[in-house]
Amino acid sequence: MKRNPLAEIMLGLGGLLTTAAFFMAFFWAPGTVYPDGRIDFAQKIFYFHVPVAEASFLVFIFTAYYGIKFLMTRKRIYDTKARIATEVTLFFVLLTMATGILWTRVEWGVWWLWEPRLTTYFILTLLVIAYFVLRNSVEDEEKRAVYASAFGILAFIDAPISFFITRWLNSIHPVVFAGGEGSGLETSMLITFIVAQVGMLMLGYAFYQLRLREEELTERLEALKIEIGD
Amino acid sequence: MAKSNSWRQFKAILRKDLVMELRTKEMVTSMGLYALLTMVVYQIALAEAGDSFDVRLVMPGLIWVAFIFMSMLGLNRSFVHEKDQGCIDALLLSPVDRPVIFFAKFAGNLLFLLVVEVLSLPVFSFLFLQGREGFGNPIWMIGVVLFGASVGISGVGTLLATMTVNTKGKDVMLAVLFVPLMYPLLRAAVGATFAAVIGGPGTVETFWLFMAWVAGFDVIMVLVAYGLYEFVIGV
Repeated sequence: MKRNPLAEIMLGLGGLLTTAAFFMAFFWAPGTVYPDGRIDFAQKIFYFHVPVAEASFLVFIFTAYYGIKFLMTRKRIYDTKARIATEVTLFFVLLTMATGILWTRVEWGVWWLWEPRLTTYFILTLLVIAYFVLRNSVEDEEKRAVYASAFGILAFIDAPISFFITRWLNSIHPVVFAGGEGSGLETSMLITFIVAQVGMLMLGYAFYQLRLREEELTERLEALKIEIGD
Repeated sequence: MAKSNSWRQFKAILRKDLVMELRTKEMVTSMGLYALLTMVVYQIALAEAGDSFDVRLVMPGLIWVAFIFMSMLGLNRSFVHEKDQGCIDALLLSPVDRPVIFFAKFAGNLLFLLVVEVLSLPVFSFLFLQGREGFGNPIWMIGVVLFGASVGISGVGTLLATMTVNTKGKDVMLAVLFVPLMYPLLRAAVGATFAAVIGGPGTVETFWLFMAWVAGFDVIMVLVAYGLYEFVIGV
């Protein structure tokens, strides 16, 4: 329950890197160009949208991982960790949705399209929300933890489906790193993207650790209150 | 020895569910009635579509919407009984392996769901498809989809209903958890049903492609549900 200096460093560094990536995206990385010569300004959201989306998938792994660990050991801390991982996932999922919708409006001309990636990601959003609805509707603490862990594991199955579906099916959602001809990015775009992605993952780690510490402190405070009350 | 014991336990639990259903006829009547009511709602939904509208185009979606909500009704019922009458506690006290409970409840739910599906499909055709073009592909293909998708619905549903019966707002909770999890399965089931209903060149391949998807979902999800059941039912 000590301070976690690494989390604070990651928070600062992550903030710095994502901000740097923002400036790099607008002032250094070249914009993609439409056939008629106009610069595709909407493409800049790529440096934010993709990092938060990748972060949402990666953090969600921990929901399933700690869910399994909780079921194996029945230690409360793993349930708390799974819950906080899901909270951070929800945060990233909502950001992904918001930025994605803005981009589809500009690029595809509609706010929403029932397209494989969007559909499966929407399902993922509903599953993450359902995780919290489930938690709120179980009173018994142990039951709540077990059910949430089980549901977290089941829900996680949608994450790889959503991630890979653009590679399996005909999807108009762009796949940048598909391999093969014409995929990948120019060096300056790639560097900008990597800076944004690394920064976002650092932020994800920091959010998770700091939230966990807050939670631990809250629990300690509650325990102390009960002690004094007695 | 152990194997035959499990088999006997499995049969005993399944038999209990069947006998209870045969005596009360509660699940099949409520699910069947629900299916009929859904069809009334469909009549409203299609009221202004006109006679030239080909109902076969939306039929796969309509029947799976009816079946998914119907299945939730049945799943919820099946565990409310267990809980209200303390049967689940007795089952847990008795020396029955937890996986056996899962497979027995799963089999019972699957059976009831299939019975109501098989009964309501002709009713749907009678009400909506008379005087229209018949099915493009052999009718047994629809049977294959019904079975394949119902396995996934009952398997995951058995796990989720076991959890949600202990929550506040049981049936709403089941829907919140169940529908998004079922999305890949339902999407494939509708695809396969559509291929079976419409027919024409290439639809048989499409059908088996969607069925492979259904089978994959069934295998993964039922295995995960089976693995998790032991943890969920004990608390």
